[in-house]
Amino acid sequence: MFKKIIGRIRAWGSRPGSLFILIAGLAVGGVSFASFGSFMVYANSEHFCANACHEMQPLQKEHKGTIHDMNRSGVRATCNDCHVPHEYVPNYLAKLGLLSDVWGHWTGSIDTKAEFDAKRYELAKRVWVYMKSNDSRECRHCHTTAKMDPDKQTEKALKRHEKGRLEGLTCIECHFAIAHTEPDGPGPQELFSVKAAAADAPASAAAPVSTRKD
Amino acid sequence: MKLLFSLLVACGLMAASLAHAAVDADAAQAQLKKSDCLKCHSVDKKKDGPSFKETAKKYKGKADAEEKLTKHITTNPTIEIDGKKEEHKSLKTKDAAEIKNVVQWILAQ
Amino acid sequence: MPKRLISKVRRWAAARRAIVVLAAGFGLAWVGLTLFGTTMVYTSTEAFCATSCHEMANNSNMEYIGSSHDRNRTGVRATCVDCHVPHAPIPLYIAKMGALNDLWSHHVTHTVDTREKFEAQRPKMAQRVWTYMKGNDSRECRHCHTPANMDPDKQSPIAIARHEKGKREKLTCVDCHFGITHHEPKSGPGPQELDVDRSLIPRSAIF
Repeated sequence: MFKKIIGRIRAWGSRPGSLFILIAGLAVGGVSFASFGSFMVYANSEHFCANACHEMQPLQKEHKGTIHDMNRSGVRATCNDCHVPHEYVPNYLAKLGLLSDVWGHWTGSIDTKAEFDAKRYELAKRVWVYMKSNDSRECRHCHTTAKMDPDKQTEKALKRHEKGRLEGLTCIECHFAIAHTEPDGPGPQELFSVKAAAADAPASAAAPVSTRKD
Repeated sequence: MKLLFSLLVACGLMAASLAHAAVDADAAQAQLKKSDCLKCHSVDKKKDGPSFKETAKKYKGKADAEEKLTKHITTNPTIEIDGKKEEHKSLKTKDAAEIKNVVQWILAQ
Repeated sequence: MPKRLISKVRRWAAARRAIVVLAAGFGLAWVGLTLFGTTMVYTSTEAFCATSCHEMANNSNMEYIGSSHDRNRTGVRATCVDCHVPHAPIPLYIAKMGALNDLWSHHVTHTVDTREKFEAQRPKMAQRVWTYMKGNDSRECRHCHTPANMDPDKQSPIAIARHEKGKREKLTCVDCHFGITHHEPKSGPGPQELDVDRSLIPRSAIF
């Protein structure tokens, strides 16, 4: 069987121009690979994400000045750092979501501020569910809990993190609305906690309680 | 005479070695690192503040070197950098023996 | 049925040899480049870089552990590649060719394979890194640390004053922030004493 394949390859290979065609195929393959990769890198950049569609402008404005944009050390996190996976193949698969974004853009689903405000809670909830489902994997890409120096954290932080660990909370359940404005409606803890699920469903579905802490 | 001379040399050597043995280089360097001194001072290279070698040179031969340096690194004196006044930070220990060790180590550079 | 289909495809392929060969080249390129990329990613991990050679595991990694780039308030870390090689793909791959020198040293010349040899070479190695960092204006530092996004309200007055001084005197990050992750060599010039002609090297320097 193998001999047949090798025989076939030799037969084809000895034909004039085969090598040239193979090299051409390699070149096209190489260029397409590099182009794909480059586009993915560009599509992950803050410049593309925040500027390609006007709908994202207000979100970039909200992010500006927050701790993930401006802080003591100047180490930042931008759109893709929190919203899409960092590993290559999961990142590319997640980018297929661009198609739904393009659809939304064409159909004007959050075209104006009024439309966006109306949908804000739904969008936030989608992100919270995503983050809870992967245990805030994107947060953990940068923030390694085992390498947080307890001597450098406040007592409050240490207590809260311990409490979170014991209650099986994930990062987003406390650290929400740090980059974008908080919408009105149940927050991550109300959505995901076992206690909330056990409590009477009608009551929590009635009037959404503002989760603002101030 | 010979015996006296060799005894004196032995005593001198012992005293010198004792004084030298008194400086725990590892402990001194650990304390310097802990107190964030190394953020501005290198042992022999140009960084932000003077290197310890420069400091040792500045205080060489001075009788009150230890006293002056101890005061400098424990009392937050005001220093002037680029025309602006700043407070010089102190060692993060109050233990007199540790402070002395650090001071002696710096002066020995 | 499948047999007829296969023979049909074979006849088509034989007749359209060119397309098949082209597609084969295309596929080969993608597979080859994916394997290459995977290797590059794997050799850039902390686990690989810090622990696969004892020279690094026993010396550099030991010094790194517990430093501010390893362990800090927020748990945001920088590992070997984040500081020592470029982040952009092509410059990264080119820089990784330098690993051939590491392999040579590890297997053939054994230049730093004991603690004593490592310490003896430390000044030279440190100077090489400082020269590299000065030459590209601490590009690797700036990949994460954006000076324009350093909040003055969160920095100490000393830090603000020093950074302004650094800006005035055209210093680069490593001129002051050296010896923070690895031990400072006990001899030799520091970054500020090294003569690196930075005007000739553009910011996007590969090396």
